[in-house]
Amino acid sequence: MIQVENIRKEFELTKKQQKENNTKDKVALAVDDVSFECQPGRIFSLLGPNGAGKTTTLRMLAGILKPTSGSIRINGIDIQKNPNEAKKDIGFLTGSTGLYERLTANEIIEYFSKLYGVSREDYEERKENLYTLLGMHDFQDKRIGRLSTGMKQKVSIARTMIHDPKVVIFDEPTSGLDVITAENIIKLISDCKTQGKTVIFSSHIMSEVDLLCDDLAIIHKGTIVHRSSMHEFRENMQTNSLTAEFIRVINENN
Amino acid sequence: MIFTIFKKELKDTLRDRRTIIAMIVVPVLVFPILLALSTTVTKYFDDKQKEEVLKIAVVSEATDNQFTQRLSAIPDSLGPKDLIFRQDTVGLKKEISIDSIQLAFIIPASFDQDQDSNLQSTIQVYHKGVNLGNKDRVKDYLAIIENTLLQERFERLNLDKQLIDPIDDQYIDISSKKEVIGKIAGGFLPYLFIIFGFIGCMYPAIDLFTGEKERKTLETLLTTPVPRWKILIGKMMVISLSGIAAAVFALVGMFAGLRLFNIVNIPGLSAVIDGILTPQFILGLLVLLLPLTIFFAGIIIPATIYAKSFKEAQSVLTPVNFIILLPAFVGMLPNIELDYTTAFIPIVNIVLATKEIVAGTIDPILLVISYLVMVAVAAISVLFSYKRFGKESNIIS
Repeated sequence: MIQVENIRKEFELTKKQQKENNTKDKVALAVDDVSFECQPGRIFSLLGPNGAGKTTTLRMLAGILKPTSGSIRINGIDIQKNPNEAKKDIGFLTGSTGLYERLTANEIIEYFSKLYGVSREDYEERKENLYTLLGMHDFQDKRIGRLSTGMKQKVSIARTMIHDPKVVIFDEPTSGLDVITAENIIKLISDCKTQGKTVIFSSHIMSEVDLLCDDLAIIHKGTIVHRSSMHEFRENMQTNSLTAEFIRVINENN
Repeated sequence: MIFTIFKKELKDTLRDRRTIIAMIVVPVLVFPILLALSTTVTKYFDDKQKEEVLKIAVVSEATDNQFTQRLSAIPDSLGPKDLIFRQDTVGLKKEISIDSIQLAFIIPASFDQDQDSNLQSTIQVYHKGVNLGNKDRVKDYLAIIENTLLQERFERLNLDKQLIDPIDDQYIDISSKKEVIGKIAGGFLPYLFIIFGFIGCMYPAIDLFTGEKERKTLETLLTTPVPRWKILIGKMMVISLSGIAAAVFALVGMFAGLRLFNIVNIPGLSAVIDGILTPQFILGLLVLLLPLTIFFAGIIIPATIYAKSFKEAQSVLTPVNFIILLPAFVGMLPNIELDYTTAFIPIVNIVLATKEIVAGTIDPILLVISYLVMVAVAAISVLFSYKRFGKESNIIS
């Protein structure tokens, strides 16, 4: 479960950034008073246009960034107070995730299992299951630099899931991927729901949202402008498509 | 957990061709290649110079004056020569400038008379200054001729040579060969450590920090339940080890070049090197290198964390490399020794201590002070790196 209460994130601006943004403000507000809850066994989608604050929010949930104020609880653990304890339960995958090009798939998966403190027995079992599920046996000993984008994405998925996280965060996971590779991600998100995991993913591809989402929040200029279940969102639509409705909500709050 | 990170980063680093070149290949090969090249080239030009037949014009009214006779008598073992006799200097300067003649002696008509009267004769030598070796050969010829003429004067006047040479100076060197070589090599070794220690740290540091940012792997690493300080220390251990390795490989390369390939032919050098390269000496150097490379890692890491690309990191670090080299110059300066002042100056103290260790004249108290000062500075640099690594704006691109 993810509980987000009134989080706010400010970034200090350097003089160069102030000049570039044509502002005299010393800080930029990326996320302002954002609250929501993600339940286990449900998929929560964070929607928003580019620069809305989706990635910053998800990075705070993953413990990469610290909120300026507010609180985030992962399965009841306050991530600011016990970041390393909370992170044990989190799996984090983005569309732009990089992998160590000079290591093999096996070496990367083993490395991350050790970083998450996974026992040898669990590691072997989970690795076998993931490799079978994703069809990774053939390229497990190949260096990442020699793999195709699709193969790399499979390694990223295995890396994200090797510690069997209870909470999985996907930040635009299919961005830049072809449909075949994106399908692996869609299936992974769907499987996570079946396994009772808490899933949050950000996207601006409405077809994915339509396919997967149980709950959603729309973020725009750092604030939540809409929050409901997917069912309610569909019920109250004032336009004839999800994309049109998304644009309408954004424009309404401009 | 630190060891897990260390092991992975080491494996990753050892598979990076750029790091391997900076850490092993260049340090091992640079000295043997430089020494071999410099000695071969020097020998080639020396030999060429010695074998070159110099065309020397002797300008004199008489071809059988005493000077010409003595010049002709100088054996070819001191350099072959071809004497050309001239009555005047017309066109001589031009011939020398186009190198058809290399040298010219202008002998005054009164030469024989002056010598017989025990007077001084002025001999002009035309030469082309850019041909450095030619002037040296002239000096050798003139020294021989002058010495012969002087000897003849003494005999003629029935005088003893001691009359104009009241002091017979005899130098007795009581320093051991080890000390002499130690002072020379000791000033040079810190250069080796600083240059290669720094470069050895630089490339892995750029790869492990800036590279991780560029390749977008750092973000994933920061989502793991590993405290940032452990990630930093794991990476820093690899960077320092790489710096030590580069310095040691450079040392190995230098000694291998000197000893195994016998590039520099100094009698007794092998025995002196054996005397210097004791297990205690090597251990002492490694102990000194440790805080030095940690310090390097500590100042390099913040720059690599800040930089957004490999190129940016390299351009930030190149001037730092030059600044770090400055203290190494101190090691080459005469009369600057390790004392209770210099022992407190970071890097300079390590440079001077290395010099003393090689010469075998190190004061243990000063060594301990130098070491503690360097450890303290290294610790501060690590803390600085930690602060930078903890800054969000530095780690997220």
